[in-house]
Amino acid sequence: MKHNDVVNSIAKDIAENCQGAYDAYCQSTCPMHTDAIGYVNLIGEGKGEEALLKIREKLFLPGTLGRICAHPCESECKRNTEYKQPISIAMLKRYATDKFDDPKLWDLTKKTSTGKKVAIIGAGPAGAQASIELAREGHKVTIFEKLNVVGGMMHVGIPEYRLPRNIINHEYTYLEKLGVEIKLGVEIGKDIKFNELTDGYDAVIVANGAHKGNKIPTKGDDATGITTAAEYLREIALTHNSEIAGKSVLVIGGGDVAMDCARSSFRVGASTVNLVSLEKEKDLPASHHEQVGAKEEDVIFNCGYGTTEIISEDGKVTGVKLVECERIFDDSGNFNPSYTEKTLEISCDTIVFATGQIVEDATEGIVKQGRGGRYEKNNDTMETSVKNVFVAGDVAGSNTVIEAMALGRKAGLSVDRYLKGESLIEGRDFVKEGSFKTKLDLPLPEGHKDELRLEGEMLDGKIRKVTFKECDAGLTDDNALKEAQRCFKCECKKCLPECIMLTEYSEYPGDLFAKFLETGNFDPLVAYSCNMCNQCTLVCPEEFDFAKFFGAIRKDMVKANSGNSPLKGHNAINIHQKLGFSKLFTTKNKGGK
Amino acid sequence: MSRKGFMPGCSLPSYSPIGIEKTVKYLKSHYPELSGIQKCCGKPTKALGQVDKFEERFGSLLADIKACEVDEMIVACQSCMNVLKDSEEFKTTSLWALMPKLGLPKEVIGKAKNSDVVFSIHDSCSVRGMSDIHDGIRWILNELGYKTMEPEKTRETTRCCGFGGMIVPVNQELAEKVMKRRVSDFPTEHVVTYCAACRQSITLGDGKAWHILDLIWGDVVMKGSEPPEDTLSSPVKAWVNRYKSKGAIKKAING
Repeated sequence: MKHNDVVNSIAKDIAENCQGAYDAYCQSTCPMHTDAIGYVNLIGEGKGEEALLKIREKLFLPGTLGRICAHPCESECKRNTEYKQPISIAMLKRYATDKFDDPKLWDLTKKTSTGKKVAIIGAGPAGAQASIELAREGHKVTIFEKLNVVGGMMHVGIPEYRLPRNIINHEYTYLEKLGVEIKLGVEIGKDIKFNELTDGYDAVIVANGAHKGNKIPTKGDDATGITTAAEYLREIALTHNSEIAGKSVLVIGGGDVAMDCARSSFRVGASTVNLVSLEKEKDLPASHHEQVGAKEEDVIFNCGYGTTEIISEDGKVTGVKLVECERIFDDSGNFNPSYTEKTLEISCDTIVFATGQIVEDATEGIVKQGRGGRYEKNNDTMETSVKNVFVAGDVAGSNTVIEAMALGRKAGLSVDRYLKGESLIEGRDFVKEGSFKTKLDLPLPEGHKDELRLEGEMLDGKIRKVTFKECDAGLTDDNALKEAQRCFKCECKKCLPECIMLTEYSEYPGDLFAKFLETGNFDPLVAYSCNMCNQCTLVCPEEFDFAKFFGAIRKDMVKANSGNSPLKGHNAINIHQKLGFSKLFTTKNKGGK
Repeated sequence: MSRKGFMPGCSLPSYSPIGIEKTVKYLKSHYPELSGIQKCCGKPTKALGQVDKFEERFGSLLADIKACEVDEMIVACQSCMNVLKDSEEFKTTSLWALMPKLGLPKEVIGKAKNSDVVFSIHDSCSVRGMSDIHDGIRWILNELGYKTMEPEKTRETTRCCGFGGMIVPVNQELAEKVMKRRVSDFPTEHVVTYCAACRQSITLGDGKAWHILDLIWGDVVMKGSEPPEDTLSSPVKAWVNRYKSKGAIKKAING
């Protein structure tokens, strides 16, 4: 059927610009694309188990992420960008998991065996996520882990007071249930040669993480009493002790890892902990709640200083010399610190460099490495230049657990295609395989108020600083409900609650109209089910004139059906109209004289 | 002085011949030269997309208006209002916006001040942008003495009763859902409309509804009062009423 210009132009406008297709800010920002808006609102409706199932659609370790995720979703939350009071999305995830998770609810469906075998190096979040994608597709997956524990950096990097180990261990049982084999304490290159994997398996994913500390070359750094964050945190994680830590620890760095080192220091016996960062306090890269946590535990912040020299006596660290940093980046945006003449000296007996981690090669030089030891790879597919070898996680450039998982999923999807002999590229939307900026542009809900964010119940700083026990008790039932109900529900399905017809016949209008443009067909029943009340247009941020469209397409349908509606039910209207214009029921009376 | 004409539309004369008769008499008391026309404006054909038929039928109504030499048409139907309002040959005025200017007959003013009913007001979605009509309806109810409440979706944000767009004959199931949803919006049990089709929809959605003409010209509504019969759902009764209305208009205009 040929359609008139009004039909075509309105349909095109709606198909192209309907915001119903756009994800919420929280969801698009999450590298795993977790339906945060969905589960937050289910919690707000008191549907905790449904919320948990929604989280588990994307995340196999919600209890872990509920505690330690860097939650980029919260940064983009409209309540953050508007009022600096983001919804406690991660904490709500933890609430749903602590309260409603049950292995009986875990989805263990997988396709029949393909007979293909995949080896994954590293049981961190990237390797684990990749293994899940592949096991679900029916491939046999074996993970080789150098450590004797699962979780990678989550187990030997993130301190236990933030993430109890029983939670990681429990959540990793999902992998076993799915049939993934995990071999602990096996180091590739030492216990098994890398080429044994490439020869013995159909594909290999290298995801061994960045476990080597990075020490910035500094005058006097040959003294004893100096370590790196990776080594320091690993030892504390595995032994609850540090051989190197003295009574006065100084941490160099301004990120979350630096906060972890500083806060862990009290727990292994330090009585004074200083933190030195190049960034000024307002520019610290560490998460706000980590900074607050560190201060509550008496960490002394020395922000905006560069370390010029490590002072030592008899080869043992006794302090540092600092100089005030004026600017970190030059006019071209390059890292190029400039300093003032103001100096400062701080005494300490231990120095921890929390200034990045490096990847240690697990491929015996077979896969080429770049900056920081990260492997060179195709950024979209994670394939390397070596046949059947892919990479994922921190070795491929991720910086957080959730980013590592997204790269793990990406590598898993690629390997699955590779094993099936399919294109690694065709039909994939790489933008949506990671964090992206949504096109959503909605006004704030009418009548909304700025409301304070609710967080978990924290142990007092003085008590918690000397224990490895979890220091955040999480949200109470009441607070979880209240917190979830603060959500602005940033998605545009605003017309659907108003229009029962659009709800019944579409996911959202853009979808309905895109299908029409694609096929050229529009169901007459839908076209004739519009009440033409314009209620949808009233709430639509784009003010699409749906009624005008339906009016216009009805004209086309009538034209194509010899002047009559294509629906039989409308015959009654024809009869009605004939009578309504008949002499029997009409009259005209001029009146007057 | 401009010549006035009145047309009640279709559903209202099919619903209440007595209401039509009293309204024509009331208008004639203010405009002795009043014309009266009963004919459909053609809106159903327009809604169906029958462009040719609509032009033919609307043309037929225009011819009647011209024959009566009307300068200003007073309409009681919101669809007629929308179809006629753009005509350059005459002005179109809603009866509901006009009544506050004319005033109600003395005998009905304050008649319901002892009523124990609180009416929820249902505005017609087809005139959601015409605030003078919304104001007029509220003025009338206040003059009569009825207590009223507004649903959350009211005036310019009012919701459809379920009847619009000619969906009832082809998708009754959906129409019923819309009707029931609108009924669930009302804060009180008793509902007043100013469209006979809206009144029918609310009745079909299990609500208790009165047309505003029932309140102006009929008995005072009390909590125990039953709403008027749903004559529009019976084709025979509806057409008999339409026939009676035609006679009432003729008689009232021509004396």
